[in-house]
Amino acid sequence: MMGWGRGRSLRHSRLQLVLAVAAIATAVALPVVLVSVGGGVSAHELANLQNAGYQIVVSAAGLHGITHSHNYTDQILSIPGVTAASPVLSVTIDAFTHSGGTPVLAEGVIPDQFYPTLGPTESGLFPSPLPLGDPTDDVHFAHGTYSGSATYDVLVSTPYAAAHSVSVGQQLVLSPVANRSLGTTYNVTGTFGVPPTVLGPTGAFAVLVPLSDLQAMTGYAGGSAVAPDAVDTIEVAATGSIATNPSALNDLRNEVQALFPYYGVSSLTQEAQQLQSASGVLTGFYLALSSVGLSVGLLFLALVLLRRVEADRRSIGIRRALGISGRSIAGEIVWNGATLALMGAAAGVIGGYLIVEALAAWTSSAVQEAAQLAVFDPVILGELVAGVVGLSLLAGAVATRTALRMPISEALR
Amino acid sequence: MSEKSVPSIELSQVVRTYGAGGPEEVRALRGVDLTIPPGEFVSVAGPSGCGKTTLLNLLGLLDSPTSGEVRWDSESVGQKSDRARARLRLEGVGFIFQRFYLLPTLTARENVELPMRALRVPRGERTRRASQLLEEVGLQGRERAFPHQLSGGEEQRVAVARALANRPGLLLADEPTGELDSGNTQAILSLLERVRQDRNASLVVVTHNPDVARRARRHLTMRDGAVVEDVREA
Repeated sequence: MMGWGRGRSLRHSRLQLVLAVAAIATAVALPVVLVSVGGGVSAHELANLQNAGYQIVVSAAGLHGITHSHNYTDQILSIPGVTAASPVLSVTIDAFTHSGGTPVLAEGVIPDQFYPTLGPTESGLFPSPLPLGDPTDDVHFAHGTYSGSATYDVLVSTPYAAAHSVSVGQQLVLSPVANRSLGTTYNVTGTFGVPPTVLGPTGAFAVLVPLSDLQAMTGYAGGSAVAPDAVDTIEVAATGSIATNPSALNDLRNEVQALFPYYGVSSLTQEAQQLQSASGVLTGFYLALSSVGLSVGLLFLALVLLRRVEADRRSIGIRRALGISGRSIAGEIVWNGATLALMGAAAGVIGGYLIVEALAAWTSSAVQEAAQLAVFDPVILGELVAGVVGLSLLAGAVATRTALRMPISEALR
Repeated sequence: MSEKSVPSIELSQVVRTYGAGGPEEVRALRGVDLTIPPGEFVSVAGPSGCGKTTLLNLLGLLDSPTSGEVRWDSESVGQKSDRARARLRLEGVGFIFQRFYLLPTLTARENVELPMRALRVPRGERTRRASQLLEEVGLQGRERAFPHQLSGGEEQRVAVARALANRPGLLLADEPTGELDSGNTQAILSLLERVRQDRNASLVVVTHNPDVARRARRHLTMRDGAVVEDVREA
């Protein structure tokens, strides 16, 4: 006996219903925010990976752990299908302008290998070709002797240039320590933009110099205490047919790995899979975390339904006395619970959306940036709502059991 | 709306005990034997607590006997499943409760339509029949009123109309005219009598009202859970 007088019955205990809907909405809003923001950040990082100009990364344990990088780069470049191999050394140094010095993150690269490993977004931020003098870095490197003449050219990021009033044509003193007198004077030959980052600018480097220059300046060219010709990573770009073919890319990865059994060699496909896997784990974690709130909300719903069954004890008894089936009465109770849960879940989704929009509009820095990346996946939201409604059926079943176990003659008293 | 044949009802050594084995055990019925053939008008009288309402509940399958048998047309129905008994009640029994028991969230007409709706009577037919029944009990124009907007007498008349909605073969009434003035009492009794005659329905009425009892052809008197007097008029 569903439908009839149901709206009036629901209106009877309006405060209870509003509280039940509010409890469920609060419980649903939390996972909506967590999953949408977390999923958005993951999706953004995944897109960055998939849009990178390189597909394979060689790395090593420890800081600046790859040695003989120029030699290895040449070996990688000799593998068929490789279009570029860019060794990268990232070191914090001190940069001095006329107004003083400041620590900056410097990257050392081989100019004509670095540029092809930039993705479509990044490549637009750099001048082409990179105005860093010797494009192959062979002259100064001089077969590992570092005895060739250096160009002393440097590119600076636009945020750094703006912050320190540095422009192309000026000079900058770069030093491995906070002592200007131990530094070397470089010519600013260009600027480059900084790609949008997630969760703050921590990954942005400020100056770009030829690899051998940075190695020599910081002591990573070689010596008694350090391994020679050190870099952090070698980023490898493949031809288009290989880059878009996971199997061929894996074969290429294996070939690179064969050259360096003791280094880590991973393809971005693997990294993307790992990121997706991690994202899935995080989503599950968020949902598990939110299940506490959901449980409380649904417990509240069950209590409201039980309270309503108790309040409607006589009405239920009358219906049963008239011959209306238990199934029909159960259907009404369960329907009421599902309706409340659906209203709560819908309010929670809308509330979560509004919270994310508010975070994106009115907070600052990393939180705002993450909120702006939020993705509202209809499948996940649909599953969440379906889960809440499904669980509400359980709550309804508990209330139904209570309603139908009572003898009719007792319910009518 | 299909009409089922009116059953012959038989209670055989029916005992109903509440709180059996406990410190507050109550033996509401103590081995009642009773047969009510189709079309009979039976009045039941007795002091408060003698088991009249329990007897009505067992006759109408609202309750199951602790021991003994309830049979409809020789078929034992007292221990049938809840679902089966609900179906028999819906199709064959009309209750007029002492306290009316109207659903507060439904209008008068919706209350009358309720049993027909459960029986899946088409909307048009049940609306027409509900309006007709409300008119017969003198409530034309009050179809849209909710129970809290009705007087006690009006509520009782809605309860009577609801009991007749599915054209039951067995009408069970617990003080059906308790809230009515003499004019309305006569009108309701005439209606019940007409239904009984038209359908050959059985009518069992618990009453202390001599006007009501006078219309019955059989008079039961109960005391301490037993039928102590069973008088049939010639």
